[in-house]
Amino acid sequence: MKNLLNSLMVFYLVATALNSQQVDASELSVEVSIPKIDSQPYHKPYVSIWLETRKRKGVHTLAFWHEQSDWFKDLRQWWRKIGQQKSPAYDQVTGATKKPGRYQVKITREAFAELALAPGEYFLNVEAVREEGGREFIRQKITLGSGERKTYQKSGKHELGNIVINVTP
Amino acid sequence: MLINATKTLTQLKQIMKNTMKTLTLITALFFSLSVSAHERFILPSHTVLSGDKTQSVSHTASISNAIFHGDRPLGNNDKGIETKNLSMLFKRLQTVVIGPDGTSSKLSWQAFSRFSVADMQVEQSGTYRIAIVQPNTPMTTFKKSDGSFGRFFGDKGVVPEKATNVVRRTTASRVETYVSFNEPNRVSLKPTGQGLELAGESHPNDLFTNELISFQLHFQGAPLNEVTEVKLVQGATRHRNQRDEKIIKTDAQGRFSLTIKQAGFYLLSANVDVEGQTGSGIDIHHYGLYATLEVFPQ
Repeated sequence: MKNLLNSLMVFYLVATALNSQQVDASELSVEVSIPKIDSQPYHKPYVSIWLETRKRKGVHTLAFWHEQSDWFKDLRQWWRKIGQQKSPAYDQVTGATKKPGRYQVKITREAFAELALAPGEYFLNVEAVREEGGREFIRQKITLGSGERKTYQKSGKHELGNIVINVTP
Repeated sequence: MLINATKTLTQLKQIMKNTMKTLTLITALFFSLSVSAHERFILPSHTVLSGDKTQSVSHTASISNAIFHGDRPLGNNDKGIETKNLSMLFKRLQTVVIGPDGTSSKLSWQAFSRFSVADMQVEQSGTYRIAIVQPNTPMTTFKKSDGSFGRFFGDKGVVPEKATNVVRRTTASRVETYVSFNEPNRVSLKPTGQGLELAGESHPNDLFTNELISFQLHFQGAPLNEVTEVKLVQGATRHRNQRDEKIIKTDAQGRFSLTIKQAGFYLLSANVDVEGQTGSGIDIHHYGLYATLEVFPQ
């Protein structure tokens, strides 16, 4: 029992030490383009942009553009990782659906400080789904807290256009 | 000089009038497309049956964009759930089964939350055609002064003051499927003359992958004498990221051909818009067809 307590104590100390190193001085910005789609009727897509750990645990939603809550579930990946549990909370980043165009969202330095993330690899996910249209899910592994400036580019084929992810130390 | 000026003004007025007419028509067309926002379908448990005793087929019917996954009921015999704001629509629907000998009977659709269900007995050998027919239903759409869109069904509604883009229309549709018991026949496939219907060479209960399928759209009992588009979607859109809608153009007599690679249930749909006659109080008549087809593998 004593041994177990000791091990737990050591684990706690190590974990705290690791945690003290945080991604607090970075900025993460994501540029997403919503393509023009020739469809009758055309509904603007529901979009969500979020960060996950390498083990696919939801960390933070950068943007969630939607209309009615009945259809939140159709952003299937976001819904299972964040939406269902409403955790982490995403109320701050919701907005109405957007028309085709280019949009930028970010995690500011202040927000990073609050998130207290350990440096390392994460997934940045973008998902879009359109009523009477298709669905697209794009994920990119990114490194946070490396002290280096990094740019990642991805391109959607259906419901999403170019995606540019910038990590600024 | 003065006469010329007056003449020019009259000409200008005429041009303006024509332009306005064209604009109204374009708007009308736009609205008619955006109004038909939801798909409808009947999904039969079986389309091909054999045997020497009476067989049963259970159908589900729904108003849903997720093809063959129900969203809202379609049809109500008052034994199921209360269908509230859909009740008005359901009261107008005619549920018809045309049997292999051409006689018509009704089908009783019971409403559940996400779809309606009907059981059917097939006794005679041949082809049964199952339809939920919506006769011309008046509907008015408009843009309110705040920019939002509004609409009402029937002719008792009131268009708000200062509303623009007012389009008075009727919508009609046929939602159909086909079931054959023993040897298929063509009696029930004969167009009824009401709305947009599927006719042509191929038998809807003899569809196989990689074989040429040919149909012809009929409108009000005669071949459709215009080029239109037919949409084909395979079921289970919910389990695909892309709807993979196939758009097929008809010829000027409504004929079209296609081959299908994958076996399964498909929803075929088409629309026709007809301008209302002057003085009828209707700008546009909208006709839709939704036919469920089953395609078997080789």
